[in-house]
Amino acid sequence: QSIVVQGNQRVDAATIRSYAQGSSPEQIRQDLLATGLFSSVSVSQRGGQVVVSVKENEVINRVVFQGNKKLKSDQLEAEVQSKARGPFSRAQVDADVQRLRDVYQRSGRGLASVSSRIVPLENGRVDVVFDVVEGEKTGVKQINFSGNEAFSSGRLRDQMTTTESNLLSFLKNSDVYDPDRIASDLELLRRFYLKHGYADFRVVSNDVKFDEAAGGYIVNIVVDEGRKYDVGEVNVESRIPDIDAQTLRSRVKTSAGDTYNAEDVEKSLQAITTEVASKGYAFAQVRPQGAKDPATGKIGIVYVVEEGPRVYIERINIRGNTRTRDNVIRREFDVGEGDAYNKVLMDKAERRLNNLGFFKRVRITNEPGSTPDRVIVNVDVEDQPTGQFSVAGGYSTADGFIAEVSLAETNFLGRGQFVRAAASLGQYSSGVEFSFTEPYFMDRRIAAGFDLFSKQTDNTRYSYYENRTTGGTLRMGLPITEETTALLRYSLYQTDLTIPNTTKRPYNDCWYPIPGFTPTQVIGGYTAGQYPDCVNNGEASIALKQAAGTRMTSLAGFTLNYNTLDNNRNPRNGLFAEWKQDFAGLGGDSQFIRATGEVRYYRELSDDFVGMLKVQGGQMWGNDLLITDQFFLGPSLVRGFAPGGLGPRDASDPRNNALGGTTYFGGSAEVQFPIFGLPRELGMRGAVFADAGTLFGYKGGFNFNAPYDNCPVTNPNVQTTCLSVYDSHQIRSSVGASLLWQSPLGPIRFDYAIPLSKAKYDQTQYFRFSGGTSF
Amino acid sequence: CASEPITKGYILDEKALAEVKPGLEAQKVLQIMGTPSTVSTVGNQTWYYISQMTTERARFLGPSIVDQRVIAINFSKNMKVERVANYGMQDGVVFDFVTRTTPTGGNELSVVRQLMRGAGLSNTP
Amino acid sequence: CDTISSFNPFDKSETYKPEIVPEVPAEQLYNDGLGYLAKNDYESASKRFASLDRQYPFSSWAKKALILQTFANYSNRQYDDAIANGKRFLALNPTSPDAAYAAYLVAMSYYNQIPDVSRDQERSEKALVALQEVVQRWPKSEYAEDARFKLNVVRDQLAGREMTIGRYYLQRRNYTAAINRFRNVVSQYQTTNQIEEALSRLTEAYLALGVVQEAETAAAVLGHNFPDSPWYRDTYKLMQSKGLEPRENEGSWISKAFKSVGLG
Repeated sequence: QSIVVQGNQRVDAATIRSYAQGSSPEQIRQDLLATGLFSSVSVSQRGGQVVVSVKENEVINRVVFQGNKKLKSDQLEAEVQSKARGPFSRAQVDADVQRLRDVYQRSGRGLASVSSRIVPLENGRVDVVFDVVEGEKTGVKQINFSGNEAFSSGRLRDQMTTTESNLLSFLKNSDVYDPDRIASDLELLRRFYLKHGYADFRVVSNDVKFDEAAGGYIVNIVVDEGRKYDVGEVNVESRIPDIDAQTLRSRVKTSAGDTYNAEDVEKSLQAITTEVASKGYAFAQVRPQGAKDPATGKIGIVYVVEEGPRVYIERINIRGNTRTRDNVIRREFDVGEGDAYNKVLMDKAERRLNNLGFFKRVRITNEPGSTPDRVIVNVDVEDQPTGQFSVAGGYSTADGFIAEVSLAETNFLGRGQFVRAAASLGQYSSGVEFSFTEPYFMDRRIAAGFDLFSKQTDNTRYSYYENRTTGGTLRMGLPITEETTALLRYSLYQTDLTIPNTTKRPYNDCWYPIPGFTPTQVIGGYTAGQYPDCVNNGEASIALKQAAGTRMTSLAGFTLNYNTLDNNRNPRNGLFAEWKQDFAGLGGDSQFIRATGEVRYYRELSDDFVGMLKVQGGQMWGNDLLITDQFFLGPSLVRGFAPGGLGPRDASDPRNNALGGTTYFGGSAEVQFPIFGLPRELGMRGAVFADAGTLFGYKGGFNFNAPYDNCPVTNPNVQTTCLSVYDSHQIRSSVGASLLWQSPLGPIRFDYAIPLSKAKYDQTQYFRFSGGTSF
Repeated sequence: CASEPITKGYILDEKALAEVKPGLEAQKVLQIMGTPSTVSTVGNQTWYYISQMTTERARFLGPSIVDQRVIAINFSKNMKVERVANYGMQDGVVFDFVTRTTPTGGNELSVVRQLMRGAGLSNTP
Repeated sequence: CDTISSFNPFDKSETYKPEIVPEVPAEQLYNDGLGYLAKNDYESASKRFASLDRQYPFSSWAKKALILQTFANYSNRQYDDAIANGKRFLALNPTSPDAAYAAYLVAMSYYNQIPDVSRDQERSEKALVALQEVVQRWPKSEYAEDARFKLNVVRDQLAGREMTIGRYYLQRRNYTAAINRFRNVVSQYQTTNQIEEALSRLTEAYLALGVVQEAETAAAVLGHNFPDSPWYRDTYKLMQSKGLEPRENEGSWISKAFKSVGLG
């Protein structure tokens, strides 16, 4: 039957009729409303005809945003439903206002207020105007903990990725309130407590309220730590007939009496699983059964080994990798297609993939295979940007002010390769470097790579020369076991050592007098080279002048290191040992063999008290060594001494230049502790230490055929050309204290050390400062 | 410091293998031995159960094969066991695989595009 | 972080002044769009058609514009928009003469986003489905011919992925995984350009396992179907010498090293 359309101005009748095909009037009404074009529709039957009368929505002329600075108008436009020249509806605009408020809250501006205005125009159109007052950035102002006795709130905060707003908040966005991030932080907290024996730990409540006065969010986390558990009786129970449980005991990483540590339990599971698999039981499953006894504070752990279902992996599907290549992900799996399915090994792979840092999310799931004893493993990953552009600045008494700009990419072209380029500029040194690493060279777990560098350093503060080192290194890292790694390297570099000889820095004017500056009149009876006062205005020692010029060094070497530190940045437990061995002389100008070693042992004495013992040593073999090839040591061996401040010195030179030595050894003991009285929130820690060590054995040249042979010489004003070396084996020692501050600008360290024993010409430096930030 | 050998692929159970005798139907073999690692390329007359023992002398060397066994079960036309063959490590021929590969298409990830797209979310390929 | 933008002084907000935007009739928008298309200015064309669709939704002009907008998006490499608009056009008028073209544009939008074989091939799978739809629903349309050709290219791509993973496992001497991957190519992708290499790799894997009879079968199938293929030449040499003669000199250890880092 024919349809009469009334009340339409803009929408043509044909279109309305094409939508009025519904069987019942009510159906037609619903269809027409669904188009969103009409504010009201009524459908009635009159005689044979269906009468449809509509009232069209007004049409929006323009959608305008006012007062928005941080979020651009086109960004906001994409968020709202009301569009220019689209239908206008009051409900829609209100929904848009709420939507805009959410957008601002998520971008860290909880204080923003959004209101809407409708401006009618002559041609029946309307303008929709959204007025925005963005307000200040509202990050997380405070994260408060209550119920935490075992660990300071500061330490708990360190575990979280969300940080509190401070001076630097305009630089970072980790203080933006993001509920998902808070949720994942709570999981990090739980894992932290489980690692330190608090098996009953739970987060009682976590409420976040918006505080107008503070202009941000206050996060209150109430925790119930429960008691600290130690490991009670540990046992292995094998339900597989011919697997003897006792043989597996050696694999268990949790021993009775230790503090309960959930990570050790997981490591034990993996170790037992691998052991059982190697006995041919690839399907065995290992489950921990914990028996918690709150009264005694002991957790008995029984590792139950039982036969799992005989299921093989049919296929491993890797999905979602829009950037990382398939093999970069697949090679992190110890098991392949066709191998026995083993949950523990899957978790190990998931952990490895997360550690790569290439993915926002990694999820491994299974689905049944084509036959009952086959399973298909799906690995869903989500790539994340892995490029980093960072600017770092800092100051230290040794290097003065220094700034570095670096660009790094850890997943270059999705191949898992690491590329980094950096340029640094400072008061006393500047340089550029480029490095590349392929972590799976020749498809083996060999981290092969190369570095190119060019560094210019000005050592005139502690000696009298500047040098530029330019060259490259080829290196190959070979992991031997989980803890030990070997690093093979070959470096070829050229050093240009120059002795400044200007009016401001006349360090070579005895040999090359500066006209008009170095006095040239001769004092009674001495021949050339007798420019009085050329020594007193500071003169590089003969050995240094001998080393001046360009040298090529070509050395091969290896480093073996063993590392069980719990955290490389600030360790609390574990051992780090390193042996470095270099052989220079495959071509190049210097021939020497150099061996250095260092062992550091950390132990957490009681809560937050960390003790550290360190021994180090080094030895060089080779004769007629260049001065710059020898060891120049200072605070790195014994704190309280200036850089290059201890070791063999040039007795004939008024400033007693350091000449370097070929043998050194030393030790150090240090205890770090929180500073009492100061609120822990400041992040201040103190340390006291005692160092001792010595450097001796100068093996450079003694007599140099300088242009003027003045050796020995009696007149102190004239530079002798034969070296008299003060080389004492005395042990230098010092005691001191330091202040470590996790300041908003980055980690800062002040060291104050008083030398107890020093050799005659040693140069001391009681105070040392280093600090810097990168953002 | 080689780690203990780990079995990769099919976990062979000598007792189960002993039960597979000529004349046994395929269905029974399936119950005893489980799904084969793979089956012959042409027709379905031969089932292969492939297992390898590997050790890892050093982590960077990765696993190396110390033993390899292939059980081949040939079936007659009416899918009854005809013959059980056994290949060991010594049968394997050692040679270099050809390094040439058949070219494939698709947009390579170029350096410029990677820098621009970061996580590769924008719609330009 | 808003490091840079927080210092930006020019960043003032827009102040609202009521101003009537002249109303452009639907037909004119449509013709403007066509004009831009003629000048290959796909960006402005897709903007015109988008505003036509917004101003006069559900109108006959809008319906006509939709197919042109899909084409503009596609030519402007806005593949996601092209897919969305193409699918909307198909939903709105399934029987229109342009339906085949819309489906073809949707298929090609997926096709052009196919990444190299080492990355997620989800778009290849979607392209496969879309191209098959073009071939099945409009077999006689002018696009079916090209769709059939592109189908082979997409199958080559999916087969290529199976081969890459197969070679990964062959390299690690996990023969079970490698053989099953190559068998997948032989069973599901026998019409692709990867089939020759799949059969050749099967021969290599079975020979390395010592199962000579299977190696011979695979080599025979390869020889029978592709007698003059370089893969058969290598396989024949391998079977003759049982691996004693090197089949190709892939250069020194150094070239292998460079190749593994992706520079070779």
